[in-house]
Amino acid sequence: MTNKKAEPETIAQLTGVSKVFRDFWRRPKVTAVQDLTLSIRPGEVFGLLGPNGSGKSTTIKMLLGLLHPTSGNITVLGRNPTHTASKARIGYLPEESHLYQYLTAKETLDFYARLFAMESRTRQQRIEELLDMVGLSQSAQRPVGEFSKGMARRIGLAQALLNDPDLIVLDEPTSGLDPIGTRQVKDLILALSKRGKTVLLCSHLLADVEDVCDRIAILYGGRLQAEGNVQDLLQTPGDIRLTLPHQAAIHTEELTTLITKHTGIEPAVDHPALRLEEFFLHTIQKAGSDASKDPDDSNSRSVANYLSSPTDH
Amino acid sequence: MRRIGQFLALARLTTLEAMRQPVCLLLATGAVLATALTPVLTLHNLGEAGRLARDSGLAFHLFFGLFLAGYASCVSLSRELRRGTAAAVLSKPVGRGLFFSAKFAGVAMLVMMYSVCTCIATLLAERCAERFLNTERILGYVTDWRTAVLLLTVPGLAFLVGGVFHYLKRGAFQSSAFVALILGLLLLLGFAGCFDQAGHWAPYHTHVQWRIVPASVLVTFALLMFSALALTLSTRLTLVPTMTLCVAIFCLGLMSDYWFGIHTEAFAGAHLLHNIIPNWQHFWAADFLANEGHIPARLLTMTTLYATAVTTTLLCIGAALFNKTEVR
Repeated sequence: MTNKKAEPETIAQLTGVSKVFRDFWRRPKVTAVQDLTLSIRPGEVFGLLGPNGSGKSTTIKMLLGLLHPTSGNITVLGRNPTHTASKARIGYLPEESHLYQYLTAKETLDFYARLFAMESRTRQQRIEELLDMVGLSQSAQRPVGEFSKGMARRIGLAQALLNDPDLIVLDEPTSGLDPIGTRQVKDLILALSKRGKTVLLCSHLLADVEDVCDRIAILYGGRLQAEGNVQDLLQTPGDIRLTLPHQAAIHTEELTTLITKHTGIEPAVDHPALRLEEFFLHTIQKAGSDASKDPDDSNSRSVANYLSSPTDH
Repeated sequence: MRRIGQFLALARLTTLEAMRQPVCLLLATGAVLATALTPVLTLHNLGEAGRLARDSGLAFHLFFGLFLAGYASCVSLSRELRRGTAAAVLSKPVGRGLFFSAKFAGVAMLVMMYSVCTCIATLLAERCAERFLNTERILGYVTDWRTAVLLLTVPGLAFLVGGVFHYLKRGAFQSSAFVALILGLLLLLGFAGCFDQAGHWAPYHTHVQWRIVPASVLVTFALLMFSALALTLSTRLTLVPTMTLCVAIFCLGLMSDYWFGIHTEAFAGAHLLHNIIPNWQHFWAADFLANEGHIPARLLTMTTLYATAVTTTLLCIGAALFNKTEVR
């Protein structure tokens, strides 16, 4: 688990942050973020939500020191976000998979690993494990410029995890992935969270966020509209749902009559359905091993060893 | 050690990425072919075919090199900023100053590789040019057709090697062809050195004018200065405005002595401009080769110091600008 003595109370803290983009003549063009105050705590999965142009990516880039805030203060891992020591503990998956198109998948990971000054043996081991984890072992020698969007996303995810980061920033991580890949990414996020890692997740896909996030913040027009625990925010106050197993179906009418008699309110009765994702994954699992023959696909690959071992922090 | 490792990884990648740009290969090939064709196609050389080949070779070296240096610099920085690869790298523990200097080192490596190609091509083209020989074996005008044909063949063979490598190993065609071009020219230089201009076996004489090399080195310095200028402008501008400004500053620098140099005592502004604008005339030493037969060591030293000072200044300005650049 995370060493509480060494860690700050928040992994990332934004205080009154605003960002104004200017045109060539330095005139204000767009106010992307306005007076944003947020804190991300150690070990949580934090979701940043909002429609296009709401300031999510700008916020992330300010957290990474790529953009400079117009006003306000940002600290990441207790330091200024431009500090290289804090960046050494961050893994970042950009919204678009920005890759050097002439490098092969293996060369790409090797290049990024060298930026972390990893020992040759560790570097090679992690590259192999990550390629296996994201299902690209068969395509290790192919230039990433030839990759499909989903494959590029997978190699992008692998490069974000090379340094076994303490803070993982994922901007639209499931964009371009098939449902199996999406499920794997969500499982990976949960596995990382169990190891005490902090994950900042930025996504349009609300179902993904709901599945994995502990807390969320919703941005609109560059302003913070809501922030809090996912369950607290989604709960409808006062409403109660009663779910009965299949065998109890014959008692439904008696139950509704009883409830109406006691409360004076007629309850709504429906049949809970599987979510499409669950149905799809169930169908694919039943379909057998066909999908695993596709080198681009990545069924049932486990999390890389070094990412699943207990953290030494 | 960590920073050195990062620097080397970034510089290596920059060189590789630039080498894999088709434009860079075409410019290098174009310079070699244009240089190789000069002694073959010139009809009226007034008995100075060698000088014509030499001067043309240096001119092609500079002309094609300016585009190569400018383009490679822009691609390595402004395009990376636009495509987002710079953001991905800078999200890692890489300082902006290190990133910027590694970019320059990578481009400088490419420029030096290009310069090796064009320098060898100029040496061989000068050797091929028609000349009057009065030796034990030859008396009369001689043109080294054998070397000329081989020199013209090397780029084609380099492309063939690149194609074969791509077919067999799935390697990048452009970089393979670029490396093959350098190796081919080096081999040809060694091979041609075993024969005299008339094709007789004479392995103990190189038969090339090595004094061209210092002139070529000076042109390379000019190209490195141009790279630093283009890289600095790329921190804020995209490809077209960067190249336009680079060409404008290059032209101003070429005419600096005439526009500002002769007015330095009359106008303080002229004095300032004359000192600020990089003066590219210092790097053209072909006239020294023609008039004095060699480049004076003092000129070589002073020009090297000048190039180092200007390049360092430009890179410092570029690094300061890049430090404030917003990486989107």
